[in-house]
Amino acid sequence: MSSIEIEDKVFIKSIENSLTVGSWAFNIETNTLDWSLVTKKIHEVKSNFTPNVSEGFNFYKEGIHRERIISLFNKAITKGEKFDDDFIIITSKGNEKWVRSIGYPIFKNKVCVGVRGVFQDITEKTLITKEIAIKEKQFRSIFQNSVAGMAIIGLKGEWLKVNKGICDILGYTEKEFLELSYIDLTHPNDVTIGKKEISLMLSGRLSNFQIEKRYIHKNGTIINCLLSFTIVIDLNKKPLHFIANITNISKIKRGEEKIKNLLDITSKQNDRLLNFAHIVSHNLRSHGGNLEMLLQLKKEEYPELIKNEYFPLIETAVENLNKTIHNLNEVSIHNSVNKNDLKTLNLLLYAKNAIGNINALILANNAKIELSIDKNINVKGVPAYLDSILINFLTNAIKYKKPTVAPIILINAIQEKEFVIIEITDDGLGIDLEKFKHKLFGMYNVFHKHKQSRGLGLFITKNQIDALGGKIEVESKVNKGTTFKIYLKHE
Amino acid sequence: MSEIKLACIIDDDPIYLFAIKKMFKIINFSKEYIFYENGLEAINGLITIIEKGESLPDVILLDINMPIMDGWVFLEEYRATKIKNKIPIYITSSSVNNIDIERAKESDLVNGYINKPIKKNSLIKIKTLLNK
Repeated sequence: MSSIEIEDKVFIKSIENSLTVGSWAFNIETNTLDWSLVTKKIHEVKSNFTPNVSEGFNFYKEGIHRERIISLFNKAITKGEKFDDDFIIITSKGNEKWVRSIGYPIFKNKVCVGVRGVFQDITEKTLITKEIAIKEKQFRSIFQNSVAGMAIIGLKGEWLKVNKGICDILGYTEKEFLELSYIDLTHPNDVTIGKKEISLMLSGRLSNFQIEKRYIHKNGTIINCLLSFTIVIDLNKKPLHFIANITNISKIKRGEEKIKNLLDITSKQNDRLLNFAHIVSHNLRSHGGNLEMLLQLKKEEYPELIKNEYFPLIETAVENLNKTIHNLNEVSIHNSVNKNDLKTLNLLLYAKNAIGNINALILANNAKIELSIDKNINVKGVPAYLDSILINFLTNAIKYKKPTVAPIILINAIQEKEFVIIEITDDGLGIDLEKFKHKLFGMYNVFHKHKQSRGLGLFITKNQIDALGGKIEVESKVNKGTTFKIYLKHE
Repeated sequence: MSEIKLACIIDDDPIYLFAIKKMFKIINFSKEYIFYENGLEAINGLITIIEKGESLPDVILLDINMPIMDGWVFLEEYRATKIKNKIPIYITSSSVNNIDIERAKESDLVNGYINKPIKKNSLIKIKTLLNK
């Protein structure tokens, strides 16, 4: 072994270690294969392992990898062709690795006497490359197939690449797009939108932004879009291009318009309703009141008039007119309650008060009221409303009792997360809910013959409960009784 | 017991005025009456009375909804006059609107709120209250 040869070996060894590059040599004459230490390390074999040629091939993964190395190796020997390719090997420990294998045929007097080569572990690099390839493919497929409009836009605002989505949204073909600039398709009034952000992005102070913006369709119509703009920079932070993501929100915008219009109409109608309420509250009442007053005075001044057959009829008509006006009034003044007007009211106190208020009715009907409300339960409400709600339900429970039975009414309350639920249960006539449920809380609906039924109580009560932000539920069986569940807020 | 010498009615409704005059007569509410058709007429009338040094009304029945100057504005104007001895003012209105009723309650100038149609009994009550 010459000294140059030794130096050569030392040199190769140091390169091998620093680059994890191994070497190998095949001698045709002796039919022996030589692996360097690094080559052995890559194969994960012991340092004293000496492979033969077929063993060497067997490390290559069965199939295309092994077939390819055998064919390249044979070509190197028979045709003197060098090779350089990437393969998968399976190490002695069963690990899969990507390797780069390079082979150079060696000639002596134009005859191939062997092959020398380099062997490099490229697993990590290959995997990263493959991952990038997958990501690239993913991006390409998202770009091409996305329903949202996507485009790559140059730093000067030129369209570099557009997808089908954006072609569909704005009506231009890809070819037409590439001949236009970004500004050409922007609504003239929106040209400045995003300018500030773009200059921030170009100076590296912003990476992306979202904004609403209008574009002009090829057919001239305005398209409302939600734009997401992102800058792409290289490793040196130099801006390369922009990616624009455009969603057509015209439909949503039109929906918003419609809702706004409807709201306008509704609030105008509401105003008119308030006007109506005012007319009822004041004007109608004063006319009705005048009629009543005149009739009364005339009756006192001319008592003989009562004998006239018209007089009592006119009197009844005026009386009914005023009652109707009174009812209308009660109905129309229940608008929603301002949150600040709500007070914290002790339920037990109000329930006791309500019972006290209808004491005469309770006694007259021999009714029994069982009250079980925790003294700590409070509800949010307007005092007059809570009075009216409780009195109304209690009065109903007694009014619509079974004719021959002394009514028993249970009142209890449960506090839940959002609501206090007040349950008022009676053992009265009950309501046929299948027939009447949708009418129960309507105006002028009476379900039982009773001389004091106006058909307004539940209507007004429901309005009051609604105004307090509560709700009402009912369970009832004919001839068994009714339970009303009143939900009122407690905070 | 002092009698009501002069009652002042501020209201634009002729039917109401016709009827209340009848009632006044029946119950002998006051010796004399002045009628004004709206707030402005009333304010001017009261100012004239003060200027001439004549005696002011013992009670005012005031409507709210009137043309030219309504009851609320009248109360503001009334506050600004030189009238020192507070004249008892009763609001007489057909409004059942809570806003009106509350507003009347809160005003220190108003003694009471009487809902129309006015009944003889309400007038008798006022008469008794004032005579006390």
